[in-house]
Amino acid sequence: MPDLHYEEEEFSTQFSGKTLIRIISLLKSHWKWAAGFILLIGLVSVQDSFFTYIGKLIIDQGIMARDSLRLTQLIGLYGALAAVQVFAVFGFIYLAGILGERVQYDLRKEMFNHLQDLSFSYFDRTPVGWIMSRVTSDSGKISELVTWGLIDLTWSSLNIVTAVIFMLIINWKLALVVLAIIPLMILTAVQFQKRILFQFRGVRRLNSKITAAYNENITGVRIVKALCREEQNLNEFSQKSHELYWASYRAAWLSALFLPCTQIIGSLALGAIIWYGGLQNLSGGMTLGGIQAFISYVAFMLWPIQEMARVWASMQSSLASAERVFSLIDSVPEIRDQESAYDPGTIRSAISFEHVDFYYEQGKPVLKDFNLCIRQGESIALVGPTGGGKSTIINLICRFYEPSSGEIYFDGVDYRRLTLHSIQSRIGIVLQTPHLFSGSIGENIRYGRLDATPEEIEEAARLSKALDFIMNLEKGYEEEVGEGGNLLSVGQKQLISLARAVLSEPDIFIMDEATSSIDTLTESLIQQGLKAVMAGRTSIIIAHRLSTIKQVDRILVVEDGRIVEEGDHLSLIKAKGRYYSLYTQQFRREHTRDWDRSMD
Amino acid sequence: MEELFIGKVRPFNNSEPLPRRPCTAVFFSFLAAVNSAAFLFVKDKFMSELEKKLDLRSSLRLHGLAGLWSLMKGFQLIYAGAVVSLAAAALCRTATFLLLRFFVDEVLAGGFLINHLYIFASAFLGLALFEGGASFLRGKLSARTAEGLILRLRNFLFDHIQRLSFRYHDHTHTGELIERVTSDVDTLRRFYSEQAVEIGRISALFIFNLIALVSLNTTLGLLSIVFIPFILLQSIWFFNRIFQAYERYQEQEARLSSTLQESVTAVRVVRAFARQEFETEKFERENWEKFQRGRGFIKLHSLYWPISDTLCTVQMLLIFYLGARMAIAGVISPGTYMAVAGMVIWIIWPLRNLGRIIVQASSALVSFKRVAHIIKEEPEVLSEGLKAHPTRLKGHIIFNNVCFEYNRGESVLHNISFAARPGELIALLGSTGSGKTTLVNLLPRFYEYTGGSLVLDGRELKDYPIHNLRRHIGIVEQEPFLFSRTIRENIIFGAGENLSEREIEEAAKAAAIHDVILSFPEGYDTLISERGVTLSGGQKQRIAIARTIIKNPSILILDDATSSVDSETEALIQEALSKLMEGRTSFVIAHRVQTVKRADKILVLDKGRILQEGNHRSLIREQGVYRKIFNLQSRIEEEAVQGGLNA
Repeated sequence: MPDLHYEEEEFSTQFSGKTLIRIISLLKSHWKWAAGFILLIGLVSVQDSFFTYIGKLIIDQGIMARDSLRLTQLIGLYGALAAVQVFAVFGFIYLAGILGERVQYDLRKEMFNHLQDLSFSYFDRTPVGWIMSRVTSDSGKISELVTWGLIDLTWSSLNIVTAVIFMLIINWKLALVVLAIIPLMILTAVQFQKRILFQFRGVRRLNSKITAAYNENITGVRIVKALCREEQNLNEFSQKSHELYWASYRAAWLSALFLPCTQIIGSLALGAIIWYGGLQNLSGGMTLGGIQAFISYVAFMLWPIQEMARVWASMQSSLASAERVFSLIDSVPEIRDQESAYDPGTIRSAISFEHVDFYYEQGKPVLKDFNLCIRQGESIALVGPTGGGKSTIINLICRFYEPSSGEIYFDGVDYRRLTLHSIQSRIGIVLQTPHLFSGSIGENIRYGRLDATPEEIEEAARLSKALDFIMNLEKGYEEEVGEGGNLLSVGQKQLISLARAVLSEPDIFIMDEATSSIDTLTESLIQQGLKAVMAGRTSIIIAHRLSTIKQVDRILVVEDGRIVEEGDHLSLIKAKGRYYSLYTQQFRREHTRDWDRSMD
Repeated sequence: MEELFIGKVRPFNNSEPLPRRPCTAVFFSFLAAVNSAAFLFVKDKFMSELEKKLDLRSSLRLHGLAGLWSLMKGFQLIYAGAVVSLAAAALCRTATFLLLRFFVDEVLAGGFLINHLYIFASAFLGLALFEGGASFLRGKLSARTAEGLILRLRNFLFDHIQRLSFRYHDHTHTGELIERVTSDVDTLRRFYSEQAVEIGRISALFIFNLIALVSLNTTLGLLSIVFIPFILLQSIWFFNRIFQAYERYQEQEARLSSTLQESVTAVRVVRAFARQEFETEKFERENWEKFQRGRGFIKLHSLYWPISDTLCTVQMLLIFYLGARMAIAGVISPGTYMAVAGMVIWIIWPLRNLGRIIVQASSALVSFKRVAHIIKEEPEVLSEGLKAHPTRLKGHIIFNNVCFEYNRGESVLHNISFAARPGELIALLGSTGSGKTTLVNLLPRFYEYTGGSLVLDGRELKDYPIHNLRRHIGIVEQEPFLFSRTIRENIIFGAGENLSEREIEEAAKAAAIHDVILSFPEGYDTLISERGVTLSGGQKQRIAIARTIIKNPSILILDDATSSVDSETEALIQEALSKLMEGRTSFVIAHRVQTVKRADKILVLDKGRILQEGNHRSLIREQGVYRKIFNLQSRIEEEAVQGGLNA
C-alpha cells in the first residue's frame, strides 16, 4: 500500500492566497455573524484605547485643574462606555464562539458526507489516522483561524492604530518616536513566535514518541520480563525522555524570554517618554496626563503585538491544515454512477467476468484475462493461497472496484450501467474481520435491514446460530458490543455479522472466511441453517476450512489470478491436484484445533 | 519589608529632600535579580545528578499538596529561585510606579535634578531590564524544575511499570495505565511550570502593590480591595462550571471521533449494505450534539468575561474617583495619584485569572493521586537471591505438591507433582482454564507458587534471583509480541548487543526465516511496524523462535499453536521448533498429535489437577481422556484421507 498521504507537511510550502480566500469564504453563509463580531471587537478595541485617553483627561482636566465637576463627568463617561463595553464583549465572544463551532460543524459534515462517496481505492491508500486528523483536528484549526484568529487580528491592529492616533493627538513628535519602536517590537515578536511554535511542534512529536514507547512496553511487558530487557529498555526510554526534556525546556525558556524581550524594547520608548516628555512638560508642551497616557499606551502595546505575532506565526500551519482538508473534500470518487444508470429491481442474475484485467497498483496485475461465469442460484467456493486473487474477485463483484479492463455482466448487462446502490444494497457480505458498531447486538443485526421486526431479527440470529450465545447474555439483544465490538470474541462477532447478512435477504450472498474463528461444531450447525438462506440465491464462499465448502456446487482453485482447477469436491479429490494436497494438509490441522474442546 | 514603602501622605508641592525609599526598592530588586542569576549558571551537571533515580516510592508517602512538594525533592532550591525571581519581578513593577511618583512630584514639580532627566529615563529602563531579567529567570527556573522532575518521574514510571508483576498487569487496562503516565503526568508538569508559578506571580503582584498602596494612602489601599472577594468568588464559580462544560464538550468530541473511526474502519460493511445514508445520519447526530455542547460552553464564557469585567471596572473606577478627589483636595499629590492608578490595575486584573488557575491546579491533585497509586504498587525484586548461582542450568525440575492461588481461596493449581529430567520434553494437555499456562508461568517466577516446593537443579526455585532464572528460560508464545524496531533488533532483543552478523543469521536460518528476511528490500534492517512491513502470523512466530534460539536457554516453554498459519508455514515452524528443543528441558502446551507422541512425559490437566501422567504408549493403554481424544483425532484424520482416496 503506497502511503501517499502519510508524510504530512506541517507547514504550507508557500503562502497560498487561494487557500486563504477559500477559508474566508467558509464564512459566506454566516456573514451576518462574522460582520457582527468584527464590528463588536472593533468597538472594544477602539474603546480600550479611549479609556486610556479618559485617564489622561482625569489628570489634566480633573486633578490638575482641580475641577470636581469635570472629574465626576469623566468618571461617568468612563462608566457609561464601560457599560457599552460589557455588552460588546459579551456579543463578540458569543458570536465568534458559536460561529467557530458552526464552521467546524459544517466542515466536518461536508468531509464526512464526501467520505461516503469516495471509492475503496481512496481508503486503501489513505490511513484511517490521516482521515481522522483531517476531520477532527484540522477542521478545528481552520474554524479557529476564521473566528479567534480574525478577532485577534482585528483587535490588535485596530488597537495599535487607535493608540497611535491618540498619541499623535497628544504629542505628535513623541508619538513619532514611539512609532519608530513599534516595527521593532513586531519584528521581534514574530521571530520569537515562529521559533516558539517550531519548538512546540518538536515537543509534540517527541511526546507522541514517548506515548508510543510506554504503549509498547506495557503491551509487551510479559515478553520484556521473559527476555530480561528491563534495564536496556529503561536506557533507551531514558534517551527519548531526555530528548523530550531538552525540547520542552528549550521551548519553555524561549517562551520565557519572549515577553521580557519585547517588554524591554517597549521600555526604550518609556525612557524616551520620561526624558522628552519630562522636558516638554517643563516647557508646558505636554501635560502630566499626557505623560501618563503615553506610558499606558506603550506598556499596553505589548499585548496586541503579541497576539498579532501569534496569529501570524500560526497562520502557516492553519493554512497547511486547510490545504489538507480541502484535498480531502476535492478528491474525486473513482467509481460513480453513470448518468443513465438505472436500478434493475433485482440482481438475481447470472454473473460473468469477461477478459477482466485488474490491478490495485499499475504494473502489478492481480487478475489477468480472467473469465468466469456464475449461474443464478449457484454456490461457488474460492480456495487457494493468500494473495491469489480470491478477495479481489469478490471486491469486483460488489463493485467496490471496477475492472481495469474487460467487463462484468449481470444477466448480460455491463454492471457499470447499473446504479451502485442497486448492486450493493442487494449483496449480503460477511467478512473475516467482522466490523461491528458501538451499540447493542440487536442494533448491529438490524444494520442488515433497518425496518426488520424483532421476530425477523430473532429468525436471522437463529439461522446463523447466534441465538444461543445471545440468549446466554444477561441482557440478550440489548447487550452492548463495545467500540468496534471489542467486548465480544471474534467468533461471536462473526456470528453477529452473519446474522446481519442473513437479515438483509440479499440476492447474492458472499462469505469471505466468515467462520474462521468459529468452532467446527457450531459451524456445521450454521451450514444447516444457511442452506435455507442460500436456496435460490447465488452464493460465493471463501474458506480455508474444507468442511465448509464440501457442499457447494463448484469449487474454484485460484492461484496467481487464474483458475487452476475447478469442479466439485469429489472430482477434485480424485484429480489429486492442488485441491487434493490443500485438502489433506488442512484437514489434519482443522481437527487438531478441537483437541482442547473435546477434553471437556 | 514594610518600611521600604512607608510613604507619608504628602501635601501638594511638597519639596522634601530626596527620599531614599524608592532607591532602596530598586536596590533590593537588583540584588534579587543578581541572586537568581546565579541559578542560571548552576549547570547541567547538577541536573544530571538530580535526574538520577530517586526512590520515589519511599518519598511519596504524603498526600495532596505535601505530596506535590515531596515530588520536587532535589529541585526545591531551584524552585525557590523561581519564586525569588517572580517576587523580584513583581517588586520591580511596584518600584516602577513609585519611581513614577517620585519623578512627577519631586522632579517635574519639585525641580530635583531637573537638568538631568536622562538619569530618570535610564532608571526606568534599568527597572524594566531587571524586571525582564527576573521574569525570564522565573520562567527558566520553573521550567527547569518542572521538566526535570517530570523527566525523573517519567523514567521512574517507565521502569516501575515494567517491574510490576504479571498479577498487576493482568488486572490493569493498558489504556488506563497509559492515560495516567501520559496525560496525568502532563497535568502535573503544567502544575509546576505554569499554575503554581502563576499563582505565586499573581499573589506577589497583589501583595507588593497592596502594601505600597496602603502605605501611600491607607484609605485608598483598603478600598482598593473591597470588590476583590467578589471577583475571586465569581471567577472560581464560573470556571468550575466552564471546566465541567468543557469536559462534556470533550467527551462528545471523543464520541464523535470514535463514531468517525468506526465508520471509516468499517467502510466495507457500510458499502456492502449500502448504508451510507444511515452512517451520515449517525455522524450528523453526534456532530450536532457536539455543536450544541460547544454552544453551552461558549455561553458560559460569554457571560463570565463581561461580568468579571464589570466587577473589575467598578473597583477600578472607585479608586480612580476617590483618588482623584483626594488629589483635588490636596490630600495626595498628583504623582501619588498616578502611582495609585497604575498599581490598582495590577491588583485587580490579574486576580480574575486566579479562578481559572485554581480550578486547573486542583486537577493536579487528582492526577497526583492517580500517579501515586501506580507508584505505591510493589515491584518485583529482580536480583535478590542466591549469590553463587550457576552460569548454566541443567534443567532438572521437580514439582512437589505445588499449589497456586490467584486470589486467596481461588485455587488454580492443586498439588501438582512431577519431575522433568534435563533435556526431556514435557507435553501439557488440557482445555482452556485447566491450568497449563499457569503451570509453565511458575517456572520463570511470573507468578509465585503459593504452596509446595518447586526444585530446580537441587535448589528451591524461590532462591534463584528472578533475573538470573529468566535468562535461562526461553519462551515462544502463541501470538508472539514483536517490537516496532528492525528485524535484527527483534532477534537480538533478549541477548545483548554484541552478537556477530553470522550468529544472527544462523539463528534466523534455524528458525526458517532467513530467506523471508532477505526477500525484504532492507533485509535484516527492515522495520517491523505500521510504517514498515506487516508480517504474517507465521513469520512473526519464526522471528520469535529465532529470538529464543539466540538466547540459548536451558529451559524452553512453547505454546505450540499454529491455528492462524497455512500448512506450509506450519511445517516450517514445526521443524524450527524441533531443532530448538534439542538438548533443552522443554515444556510444550501441545495441540498436535505429533508433538504429544514424541514427548517423554505427557501431563493431562483438568481444573488445576493432573488427571493423567505418562508417555504416549502408556497412556494409550489406559482408560481415560487421553485415549478418547487420541482415538477421535486419528479417526477423523484417517477418514479424511481415506475418504479422499476412496471417493
